Amino acid sequence: MSTAMNTAAGRLIGAELKLMTRDPLVLTFVFAFPIVTMLIIGGAFGTKPNSGFEGTNPAHWYVASYLTVVIAAVGLVMLPVHLASYRERGVLRRFAAAGFPRWSFAVAQLVVGLITIAVACALLLAVAAPVYGLPALHDGWRVGMALAFGAVGFVSLGVLLGTLLPSARSAQAVGLLLFFPSFLLGAGGPPPHVMGSVVRHIAGPLPLTLLTNAVRGPWLGLGPASGSLAGLVLLTVACTAVAARRAVL
Amino acid sequence: MVVDGLDLDVPAGEIVGLIGANGAGKTTTVECVQGLRRPDAGILRVLGYDPVTQAGELRPLIGSQLQDSALPDRLRVVEAVGLFGTARARDGGELLEQFGLAQRRRSAFGSLSGGERQRLFLVLALLNRPRLVILDELTQGLDPAARRDVWAAVRQLHDEGTTVLLVTHEMDEAEALCGRVVAMRAGRVLDAGAPADLVDRHAGTATIRFSMPDAPALLLDQVRRLDGVHEVERAGARVTVRGTRPVIAHVGAALVRWGPVPADLSVHVPTLEDALLGLLDGADAGEVAEHGELVGGRK
Repeated sequence: MSTAMNTAAGRLIGAELKLMTRDPLVLTFVFAFPIVTMLIIGGAFGTKPNSGFEGTNPAHWYVASYLTVVIAAVGLVMLPVHLASYRERGVLRRFAAAGFPRWSFAVAQLVVGLITIAVACALLLAVAAPVYGLPALHDGWRVGMALAFGAVGFVSLGVLLGTLLPSARSAQAVGLLLFFPSFLLGAGGPPPHVMGSVVRHIAGPLPLTLLTNAVRGPWLGLGPASGSLAGLVLLTVACTAVAARRAVL
Repeated sequence: MVVDGLDLDVPAGEIVGLIGANGAGKTTTVECVQGLRRPDAGILRVLGYDPVTQAGELRPLIGSQLQDSALPDRLRVVEAVGLFGTARARDGGELLEQFGLAQRRRSAFGSLSGGERQRLFLVLALLNRPRLVILDELTQGLDPAARRDVWAAVRQLHDEGTTVLLVTHEMDEAEALCGRVVAMRAGRVLDAGAPADLVDRHAGTATIRFSMPDAPALLLDQVRRLDGVHEVERAGARVTVRGTRPVIAHVGAALVRWGPVPADLSVHVPTLEDALLGLLDGADAGEVAEHGELVGGRK
């Protein structure tokens, strides 16, 4: 372990993890926001199976959905702002000049993003369990696969946005603009049956909707959601390929 | 821009300054040297390595402080030392002590003063026992006291035998720290040498000014005939004498012999700044043989 942490990527991962715990934006958007909103909206529709939620317990519907809100918060808010801030302030140039290997920063961001998602998801489930109970997993493998592809895809998307946007402020503005509509339409907002057909059509192809469908369907026994999973895999491969090229030092 | 024939020797253990006005190509040059910018054309070798294709081998041998480059605000001093220290790193605690940062080791980068940040960058630049240290506009934006602190730190590097390439547009800084300077303009080297040699070559004129109402023509004639005097100007009561530096002593002696020394007597000794201005003027007039053509590149 200590040898791994002595590598450039290991040192970067260690430092970035410490910094993440000190970042109010991360603590707010990735850890606090999904939990608070899940508690509020999960209680709004009760716990009795409801046809508006495809016959499932509405609270469980939202517990399953809010794991993907955590992933979207990391990919659309935390990482773009973090990376754009580093580029804007010359931190990346400093890493490059100091001899950090070209791939070390990209690897560090991927690992830190995935660790953040894992911890935040665990925390969310730990809070949900005593309040609403955890829904039984109908197809754990598919849920795990969707979460894994979704996490890697959104982390890559975040890294990509961070390398494209010129400043931390613009990254924050664009990130929030992407996050909130995605959140409301594709994961943590009103159930699909209250949305009009136009809104449902807009929501359908959003990355977060694909991810949420791919997680929620097999988790709650609503079907394999193979189309959503396939779309998610394509998106993940594309984002990861482009982000990996752009994130080298 | 392009780098073509830029011959930049940095002898081991010396501090060499790259000077010039803004836009002279100084930062472009050091970015190319570190492989952070790809030259459009030409061959560049640093410590025997190509900075672009052999960046992995070269960068660990260079310690650098980059212009307009920071660290994460919430990163603590001791964590920065841990982050940047490789297997060949020196004792970070000793370096922090040496550069007066031991008391700030638990402080976040964002809470450091400008001088403390620059001293931390020096610590990081030296951490991995580099063969060459590049310092780009090290004291930009610092107050005079902080500048002196940082200068003292750079002198420590020299005393320890570290080789330094210092990029600055502050001429007093180059004059105070560098054993050799390279003057650049628009990507080209105008001249190079010890600061005193550049001053002699391009700013040899000293200026003496004093007021003497009704200055006697005889005195002015005496001054005009002194060795090394180039010109004597009189505007009302104000007299200006220009000449070589020894003229300062001769004019002073003449004034003492003549009578009471004027209370407003002032002397301007030529500096490296005058030399650079002279070089730039000469380049405008096409008088200076340019040594090379620097041309930048892509980031």
